[in-house]
Order: sequence, then C-alpha cells, then structure tokens
Amino acid sequence: LKPNGPLEGVFDEMLQADGRPREHYAAYQDWLAGTTADAMHAKRAEADLIFRRLGITFSVYGEEGGTERLIPSDVVPRIISGQEWTTLEKGLAQRVLAINRFLHDIYHDQNILKAGLIPPDQIFGNDQFQVAMVGIDLPFKTYAHIVGVDIVRHSDGDFYVLEDNLRVPSGVSYMLSNRKMMMRLFPDLFRRHAVRPVEHYPSLLLQTLQGATEVNNPNVVLLTPGRFNSAYFEHTFLAQQMGIELVEGQDLFVQGGFVFMRTTSGPQKVDVIYRRLDDSFIDPLAFRADSMLGVPGLLSAYRLGRVVIANAIGTGVADDKSIYPYVPEMVRFYLGEEPILKNVPTWICRNADDLKHVLAHLPELVVKEVHGAGGYGMLVGPTSTKAEIEDFRQVLLSNPSNYIAQPTLALSSCPTFVEEGVAPRHIDLRPFVLVGKDIRMVPGGLTRVALRKGSLVVNSSQGGGTKDTWVVD
Amino acid sequence: MLSRVASHLYWLSRYIERAENMARILDVGQSLSLLAQSDNEAQTALEPLVITDHLAEFHATGKVATHENVARYLTWEVEQASSIVNCIEAARENARAVRGSITSEMWECINDVWLQLGQKRQAGHDPINTEFYDWIKQCSHLIRGITFATIRRDQPYHFIRLGTFIERADNTARILSVKQSANATSPSVGASTNGDRSAEGEDYYSLSAVLRSVSALEAYRDTYKDSIDARRVAELLIFHPTLPRSLRFCYDEIAQLLDQLPDGPSRVPRRLAAMMKARLTYGHVDEAYEIGLLDFLEGFLKENVHLGEALQTAYLELK
Repeated sequence: LKPNGPLEGVFDEMLQADGRPREHYAAYQDWLAGTTADAMHAKRAEADLIFRRLGITFSVYGEEGGTERLIPSDVVPRIISGQEWTTLEKGLAQRVLAINRFLHDIYHDQNILKAGLIPPDQIFGNDQFQVAMVGIDLPFKTYAHIVGVDIVRHSDGDFYVLEDNLRVPSGVSYMLSNRKMMMRLFPDLFRRHAVRPVEHYPSLLLQTLQGATEVNNPNVVLLTPGRFNSAYFEHTFLAQQMGIELVEGQDLFVQGGFVFMRTTSGPQKVDVIYRRLDDSFIDPLAFRADSMLGVPGLLSAYRLGRVVIANAIGTGVADDKSIYPYVPEMVRFYLGEEPILKNVPTWICRNADDLKHVLAHLPELVVKEVHGAGGYGMLVGPTSTKAEIEDFRQVLLSNPSNYIAQPTLALSSCPTFVEEGVAPRHIDLRPFVLVGKDIRMVPGGLTRVALRKGSLVVNSSQGGGTKDTWVVD
Repeated sequence: MLSRVASHLYWLSRYIERAENMARILDVGQSLSLLAQSDNEAQTALEPLVITDHLAEFHATGKVATHENVARYLTWEVEQASSIVNCIEAARENARAVRGSITSEMWECINDVWLQLGQKRQAGHDPINTEFYDWIKQCSHLIRGITFATIRRDQPYHFIRLGTFIERADNTARILSVKQSANATSPSVGASTNGDRSAEGEDYYSLSAVLRSVSALEAYRDTYKDSIDARRVAELLIFHPTLPRSLRFCYDEIAQLLDQLPDGPSRVPRRLAAMMKARLTYGHVDEAYEIGLLDFLEGFLKENVHLGEALQTAYLELK
C-alpha cells in the first residue's frame, strides 16, 4: 500500500510536499509498502468485531434499535515525533497551570480584572461564572484537575490551541482502547517503533484524584449520569481501571455536611468525587431543580470543604469562547512567561479596532457567537454567499460584543484507511492533562479524524473516527 | 459495596437463571409434544405457561395454545417480561450498569451472548428448537463458569450466587407443583404407584420430563436404582442434599451465602433462610405428602418470595 499524495495547501502529518515521508513516518511507510489492502481490511474487521464484543460503544439518543454505536477506529496511526511532543507537553503544562491560576484569581482577588487585562463584564456576565464559588478555598488551589485541550495543526506546520475543555472532557477511554487494539492487531509495528506508552493513564488519574484532597487514604468515586449517557462506557472503564466505585446521584446523599454513599454495609463517607456531570445537574437544590442525576445538598458540603469535586464547580468560565482569546495574557500575567502554544488569532468584536478588521475581511473569516456551540449562529466566510455575508454584517453590527472572529483553519491531514485506499483525512488532537501537585500527561492523546473526504468535522456524532496516537523516539 | 451495584448483580444472575430455566421448561415441553398423546395436546402445550405463571397474559394475546405458539411467546415475545429474549436483555442491562464491578471476562461473555441472540433473531426465523435451547443453557453454564473462575469470593460474588439460588429454588418448586398437580388429577396416581399400565406409561414420561428439566434424571437413577415414581421424584427434588437444583441444596447455599454478608441488616433474611433450611434438612417427604404436596410447595414458594423481599429491604434498596 502507498499513501495518496498530500492535499494542496494542507499540512500532511506523514508526507512532505514532495511526497516523501517525514522522518518519524519513514519506518511506517516502509511497513505500509509491504502490506495489502486486503490485509488492512481484515485487520479493520477484526478490530470492529472486538470493539463490539467488548462493548466499546457510545450511546446515541432517539435511534430505534441501534442505540449503541461504535466509534470507527482507523488502523493507520497518527505519529508525532518525540521532539514535537516535548514542546507540546511544555506548552500544555504552562497553559493549564495559567488557567488554574486564573480560576483561583477570578473567584478570589480578581487581580487580572484590576490590572485591566480582561473586561469585568466578560466574567460577570458569563453564565458559567458561579457566584457560589466566590471566596471558597479549594485544596491546592486546583480547579481544573483534568483538562482536554483541542489542538490542530495549520498549513504553516504549527500547532494551535482551538479550545480548552475544562468541564468534563471525554475521549480518554478511546485513546486507551485504540492503543490496546493496535498492539493486538499489529504487534510487528510496535517492534519496529519505540512508541511511548500511554497505558498508565488510569494510574496517573487515580493519583491525581487521591492527591486532590488533604484527607489521608481518601475514598474516591466516579459520579456518572448513568448508563444512558453517551460516555457511559468511558465512566465504567475508568472506574474499573482505577478500582473505584462508579456511583450515580442516587447512590450518594449528604448528611451533617458530609457526603456518603449507600452501601450494603451502611453509609460510607466520600472524599473525592470525579464527576462526569455538568455543573447545572450536580445539585438540584443549588442548580437545576429538575435534575434527577445530582445529589441534593452537594454544593453546601463542597463549600464547607468536606468533599473535593473534580473538576471544580465553576471551571466553565475559563473555557468559554469569550475568555479563550485572553489565555495567552493569562500565561504572561500569572507566570511571567511567553506562551509556548499559540492561540488561533482571534478578533474580539467588542474592540473597535478588531471589529473594523473583521468587517473588512468577513469573506475570509469564521465569526462565532461567544457563548454559542455546535456551529449555531456562526458565519463561515469562505463558504457563504455575498448576501449571507451582508446579512450577517448587520447582525454583527447590532451587537458586536456577542461575537469573535477567527481565520478559517486548514486542519492538517493524516493518511487514513478508507474506501479509496490510504488517503489523507483531516485530524485534530486532544491531549489529556492532569493537574495535581505537579502537572502530568501521557504522551499523545486522542486523535480524531474526519472520515468523510474533505470534511473538517471530527465529531463522532458527525462521521468522525479516532486514531491511535503515537509519540515515537 | 454500593447497594445499587449489589442489586444489579443479584438481578443479573436471577435473569440468567430465569432464561436458563425457561429454556429447560420449553425444551422438555417440546420433546413431550412429540410423543403420541394427542388427546391432551392443548393441556401440555399450556404447561410452560402454568409453570411460569403467564397463562392469563398468553390468553390475552388471543393466540391459539399450540406448543409452537407458546414456545415462541415465552422465547421471543418482547411484551413478555420473562421471555428468554427479555431475560437476556435484562441480564445484559444489569451487567452494563455494573460492568466495572464484574470481571471483564464476565462482561464480555454476557455481552457476547446478547449480541449472538440479536443475530439469531435478525436471521428472521426465530428458533424454538432444541439446538437453540441447548445454546441458551450452555450460555448460562458458561456465564456461571466464568463467574466462578474469575471473580473474587467477595460480596459481588455472594449477591450473584444469591440471585441464582433464589431463582432456581423458585423454578424447581414451580415445575414440581405443576407436574404433580397434573398427575394428581389423573385417577391412577396417589392411590398406588403401581396403577394400571397405560397411566403408568403417561406418568413415566411426565415424571422423567420433570427430572430432565432440572438435570436430575441421572441423579434419580443413581440414587434409587429403581423405576420412576412421583413420591421419590418429590423427595429427590425437595430434600436431596447434594443435587444442585433441589430445594434443600439451594437453601443450604442461600443460608451459607447470607452468613457471609455484612452483619448489620442481616437479621431478618438470615432468620428466614435458617427456618427454611431447617425444614428442608430435617423434613421428610412423607410429611410433605401429609400436608399435601401442593400445599407444601405453595408454602415454600411464598416463603421464597418473602426471603427475596427481605434481602431486598436489608441490602439492595436505596433507603
């Protein structure tokens, strides 16, 4: 098999512009040359079968019959050189540390607002800002214990951070399952490459959670919304790997300011909750009263410091699109360092100069609502008609502070085994960063791939798949 | 362990056992239907429904009571909570809810059975033959074997086993009571075990069917080395201490399992189990016949349900 040549104007992870492989892909290309499409088909069929047998699926709502689906796992790995990873790792640690400092600051002295670096209404007008967290001291001042950072590589060959997921980032189980599967399917490949291991992630996660409290020998639990949640497989997987109880809201109760779980031997105190439930569902007394998933009184116990919740309540204020442009400023302000990882250049339309630029370049830009998600209420300049752009111009002018704008990115591509053979498909990368007394991560992360030709959408709900991600030395 | 988890494990094993028992009942029912006894075909066809207490629900569907319709109903009907397909579905859902608390081998096996069942169904000719029921039985054996071989002897194991034996005791008692009452209505039995020839032939098939449905035909031959008679069958299935599907055996296990659970809430279920165990250990088949075998078995079934409820209250419910 031979990979199809690189796409025009897109950085290909494997192939240089002249079609020769990059150094860290040379050994893989050699191996690929010695294999056939039939062999790859057979491997992929085997992988699908095993994934289904193991029940490594995600749930889809409102689908009759097939409510559990596989996330397609591509058999061609995404390879990152050790050198590049070292830079990424440093940049991620720096970024996540600054974000944690920011969260502590914003719920305490608010120095960054006093310094005039972020307009206060960007914070106080944000739904994700939790007033209940103001003045609450958290152990080790850690807010975001587990962070999933979405990174893309642009046509200039540089990495850019697209988004910081600070609430309940998911996908790490696919990272681990992909590795397990690849080692099973292609043991010879692992003999040819020095792939850095990722299998110790659950152990690092457990250490992080245990270290998040001042209690000795803490009782750590994983709080899931239940088996109808799309990420339920991941919840069970992580709980089992860590050897901790997987609890639902109904298993927990609050008494005398402490949190307990109901066991066959009576109530047992809980010290750390790794929650996979959004803020708004976590305590029906404090947030959404209609939530059946949470634990009544949890917030009050949390505010008394009787239990640690990871990630903390109120971290969402820092992963909002309106705050994202300020992360490089946070790095400079809190750490006194220059940011290692780049932000995607972002124009904040509330600033007169930025707005002027955006209005002059609308056909080239992507304009997004600051609190929007899922592609709603946005303009993608290059694919819009003149009339659409002019309509959007009026909308933008009527409320500029509701918008940010970014250049249209060309996500890098990676050879992927598809109908037409091994062909380039667009990818991103989500490394998982663990924050404790120090900041740790396993090499690589989850690579998501847009399996449809030309598509830039990597979401599993929209035809996206995943790839095993190798950091090789 | 979490009460909710204990509850899922308990029901997981009850559903597996229920699916297996249903397969046993239907398989034996079908092989009986192949015997030339056309005069009471309608009667024997209904028997699996009587045993499992689903007669009224079946009649409500308006279907004709043939062996085939009944088997299809109890095997594949999604509207019937106790159908095999639903039992496997429920077992798998319970397993999925606690897949972190069972071994990965157990989960994979249960998931695999569920997937294969889906394929058998998709094939479009929903099987109700011996091959299929053998497969269900083997799946149940396999799941039990994997459980036995891989899980620690800890609370999860104890709750799984409790589910198995409470369900199994219920099943054995039901089969026995229905078959015995069927025999009791025929004039020859009860009066003498050496009645007239034709009735004896019928009894033979009916009683050996009872034994086969609980894998006890060989045990009967080994134990009595004599022809099959109703009183001995009752003795074997109620009082035999080492036959894995006898009531006595189930309650020896249940009492022992309860002793290993946390002390606090255990008083009521332990007392109930100990009383039943004592009755089975020191009881005699003649006494059961004095009370009337049907009354004896009905009393047992009620108490078995009580024990399930006491267990539920003590350990499994979220207070």
